[in-house]
Amino acid sequence: MIIKYSVVVSPSLKANQRQVTTTMPESTKMKKPDVKIVILGDMNVGKTSLLHRYTERKFKDTISTVGGAFFLKQWGPYNISIWDTAGREQFHGLGSMYCRGAAAVILTYDVTNWQSLAELEDRFLSLTDTASTDCIFAIVGNKADLTDPHAQAATSGGGQADAELGGVQTQPLPACPTPPASPLLNKQVSKEDAMALYGRVLRYKGLEEKTSPPAEKMCFETSAKTGYNVDMLFETLFDMVLPSILKKRREGENSTVDLEESRGSKRTKAGCCA
Amino acid sequence: MSVKAFELVPAVERDQLMGDKARINIECVECCGKHLYVGTNDCFIYHFLLEEQTSAKGRPAYVTQKLLHKYLGLKKPVVELRAASALERLIILCDGTITVVDMVTLETVPVGGAKIKGVAAFCVNENPVTGDPFCVEMAVVSSRRRAVQIFSVHEDRVQMLKEVATPEQPVAVSLDGYFLCLALPAQYMILNYKTGASQDLFPYDCEERKPIVKRIGREEFLLAAPGGLGMFANAEGISQRAPVKWSESVIAAAVCYPYVVALDEGFVTVHSMLDQQLKQTLAFRDGHLLQDFEGKVVLASTKAVYVLVPMPLERQIQDLLAGHRVEEALILTEGAQRNIPKDKFQILHRRILQQAGFVQFGQLQFLEAKEHFRKGQLDVRELISLYPLLLPASSSFTRCHPPLHEFADLNHLAQGDPEKVQRCKRFLISYLREERTSDGVNGFREDVDTALLKLYAELGHESLLDLLASENACLLSDCAPWLEKHQKYFALGLLYHYNSQDAAALQLWVRVVNGDLQDSTRSDLFEYVVDFLSFCPKPDLVWKYADWALQKDQKIGVQIFTKRPISDDETAGKLNPDDVITYLQKHSQALLLYLEHLVLDQRVQKEKFHTHLAVLYTDRVLSLISRSTATEEQLSSAREKLQRLLRESHLYRVQLILGKIQDSDVLLLERATLHGKLEEHETALHILVHQLKDSPAAEDYCSWASASHDHTYRQRLFHLLLGVYLDPDVPGGPQTVAAVDLLNRHADTFDAVRVLELLPDTWSLPLLRPFLCGALRASVHASRTSQVALGLARAENLQLQHDRLKYRGGPIFVSEKKGCRLCHSTFSDPDCVCLPGGTPVHTHCATQRIRDSPTKRRLDHASNHT
Ligand SMILES: Nc1nc2c(ncn2[C@@H]2O[C@H](COP(=O)(O)OP(=O)(O)O)[C@@H](O)[C@H]2O)c(=O)[nH]1
Ligand SMILES: [Mg+2]
Repeated sequence: MIIKYSVVVSPSLKANQRQVTTTMPESTKMKKPDVKIVILGDMNVGKTSLLHRYTERKFKDTISTVGGAFFLKQWGPYNISIWDTAGREQFHGLGSMYCRGAAAVILTYDVTNWQSLAELEDRFLSLTDTASTDCIFAIVGNKADLTDPHAQAATSGGGQADAELGGVQTQPLPACPTPPASPLLNKQVSKEDAMALYGRVLRYKGLEEKTSPPAEKMCFETSAKTGYNVDMLFETLFDMVLPSILKKRREGENSTVDLEESRGSKRTKAGCCA
Repeated sequence: MSVKAFELVPAVERDQLMGDKARINIECVECCGKHLYVGTNDCFIYHFLLEEQTSAKGRPAYVTQKLLHKYLGLKKPVVELRAASALERLIILCDGTITVVDMVTLETVPVGGAKIKGVAAFCVNENPVTGDPFCVEMAVVSSRRRAVQIFSVHEDRVQMLKEVATPEQPVAVSLDGYFLCLALPAQYMILNYKTGASQDLFPYDCEERKPIVKRIGREEFLLAAPGGLGMFANAEGISQRAPVKWSESVIAAAVCYPYVVALDEGFVTVHSMLDQQLKQTLAFRDGHLLQDFEGKVVLASTKAVYVLVPMPLERQIQDLLAGHRVEEALILTEGAQRNIPKDKFQILHRRILQQAGFVQFGQLQFLEAKEHFRKGQLDVRELISLYPLLLPASSSFTRCHPPLHEFADLNHLAQGDPEKVQRCKRFLISYLREERTSDGVNGFREDVDTALLKLYAELGHESLLDLLASENACLLSDCAPWLEKHQKYFALGLLYHYNSQDAAALQLWVRVVNGDLQDSTRSDLFEYVVDFLSFCPKPDLVWKYADWALQKDQKIGVQIFTKRPISDDETAGKLNPDDVITYLQKHSQALLLYLEHLVLDQRVQKEKFHTHLAVLYTDRVLSLISRSTATEEQLSSAREKLQRLLRESHLYRVQLILGKIQDSDVLLLERATLHGKLEEHETALHILVHQLKDSPAAEDYCSWASASHDHTYRQRLFHLLLGVYLDPDVPGGPQTVAAVDLLNRHADTFDAVRVLELLPDTWSLPLLRPFLCGALRASVHASRTSQVALGLARAENLQLQHDRLKYRGGPIFVSEKKGCRLCHSTFSDPDCVCLPGGTPVHTHCATQRIRDSPTKRRLDHASNHT
């Protein structure tokens, strides 16, 4: 039994993850997030790897996510929490909890696995019912490195960024250099399929296609392994959720502002009568 | 194991409860201060007093004393016990019924009203909504209805406040404020009993697994989730912390900030709520109950009771640091912020940050170390003191106790690896540099600057000189031997200078220049020393080293004097030029340079200097002439200098120089110039024309000699020259060509009439055509110009008259019928004078009156003739 725990959170593993907290600005440790982004998708599509690539700038072996985990990202003056969820059926019931109030949902599939796209519609879309009404959706086809040669070269979030980690002694990245053109797998999901799904997501959510972000902008093909499109994905979303942060902040302030205003207007009226 | 957060301490042993009766089990516990209540399956309640003690080994222990036990008389297990300490009541659930007993006597207290029956479970509100301290709020789950009832329990009565319906029959309940957190058969939900609003959380099969609903803080609950997860949920149904991973067989959970403690069939696990990581695992068989009571975690098997005593926070933190688990230590420290008074927390936090910094420093993670040192406001001397010999011997610093780290010194830390030592030194340099610019080091600048200087010197760092050249607090007594040891003599000199010991600085530098000491910092040290002396405010030092410098190189050495400001008085380190000149007698080259500096650069207007320089120039020229080896160039450049001085200076003694060169037949130009200075133009021109035979030079002479005079003077000189040209009484006769050229070139300078009279009649007109044309044009030009001037002057005069009349007002009328105001006789002619106010009087009357008046001021006004 004890072995079971230690697989999950053995101290040595924790020690390796030290970089997370090192790169994470001090202030985010305790701060309340301003906004939430949730990554959904079937198990093994690479959700954890994507988050890992973005936050730690590398690709390493993951263990099946238990329950969920999150990472706080400081984006300008804001704190954005990114939740990694477990794709396993067992934890499916927790999905709506994680999605509650989310400003953006990343629906992730594996480009080499048609079923993983189908699952998004069948199992995961309904979890987003609890998300914020103006929630933004992104459809992400991961593992593009397996099917597209151009995704085998890192375009972003690459291991080159290791130097940024400062004095931390990072291990040489095992899988980072572009592998000598590994034989390509059959791409089971095309970008058009993903874009069609995006359209159906909008319809499911009762959103107008015209007023929503266009499918071309919101469908990504990524590779957590090479870093291809990973920074692009997260940073596009961060920029898009900014308005909802501002809205949230404004709503937070509104009550006081209203009081002030009503008092102010009363005074004006009194002035008129006098 | 990672952290020892808790220690398991026995509290109630088996023989204190059921002895060897095998079928009797513990069902529930309640702990309230020192009072521990235990309910059993045979319907007994036991009351114990727990005294915490520290054992001989410093480990916590409990001495337990049984105060009372009571049979409730129902033959059913006691399901739940809750103390309401303010009321001194114990709320008991047994056989589906809630009873209230006195906490001390365990006697049933009548509370009036109907009995609360058919109860499946109840809980007490730890965040009550009524402000009444003598009232406990309680939520009761009915075993028969789909509803939760809210009661208030007072000392003598229990009152139902509200009943809320639930979609399903609740299995477990927890309450915070108005928020009920319910475990329903297939899911968890939050229910606001005031508004009736509900929020589904997530599905959970309570039939299959025992649910856990545990309030962990304001509006936040901890729930057992599928897959053995501990999920956090707030009242809005949002999870703000990542879940913790328990085992599938989890039985109970408790919270002792910042830890979540959970019990399963074989273990107690401890997770941190700060990072969700598993921190400690304790083997525990037959675990049955786990509950927290005001910071105390009580654990029970079916037969015995234990307390999980939290280890002191600082001890946990120190354990983590000892294991180099810096981030966890910091998270734990920061997580304790809300439990510790602010000032105490700050002290703790700073210390932990500093320790964390040293752990990282030991691992050569300098960036992180620096950040933590900064944030922890580390006394920088703690860091410096790691490096042997860097702190000044006089420093009052002693390392903080208990120590912030385990290192004796840098060598210990690097374990003899010179590479590591170097890296540490480079880090300290960068750290100290940044530290200097902050105000953190105010109290001990000396220590910081001295350490920095030593590091620079040792590593041959280029910033050593910058440090010494800028404001610094380096301790001379401590740094001097160090700089000597590393042969940084130039730097040491700078340090002496900074400490106003210029004599020591110079002595040192001179030894380096002389090659007695080796320091290659500056290849131009000699020039530097000269420059230094030229600014040195102490004349004695200047005189002391001037000889040395001049002997080494007069040209550079003389800059000691030429670069410093000139002055007559010796105050403020200025030197008297006369003294300098006297001093420089032995160094002819330097003397010359110095005089040139005075006369040509500084333009000092003193006859002495000018004459001296002229004499030196002359002597040089004469010596070159007499020396056969001298080249043409040497001579011409020497003469050039002499000529310029003779021409441009007005101060030297002309006769003296003239006397010196009188006999030379080479220095004709010079002689001419000297005669010119004496206004002996004829002689001068004679020399130029007849001896030197250089008509351009003669012409130049005229221009030069008349440069600061008017036209007539110039004309006179040119006529003189013309005269010299035309002079028939010289060998070779008159120089006609030169004369013609002169006339034609300077037509406008000559007085044409006089020239024409002078010229021999035989000269042809075309020869002089340019001259004549020029002269004529000049004459016409002059005539016209004067006409124009005349016209302009007239016009101006007219204008002025007009203005005058205008200002004086109208005409004055004088007639034979009008009388003079002064003599009263009539006017016979128009001559008259106006008094102020315009009254005409006779001229002679006015004169008379002015002569008589005591003040003759009015004279000015009396001049108006009409
Ligand atoms: N080739 C390739 N493999 C990937 C990529 N992302 C994830 N994987 C692999 O897919 C497996 C599942 O990844 P994981 O991140 O745990 O998926 P999750 O269950 O969605 O969190 C792991 O073996 C990863 O190494 C990718 O971009 N390219
Ligand atoms: Mg995962």
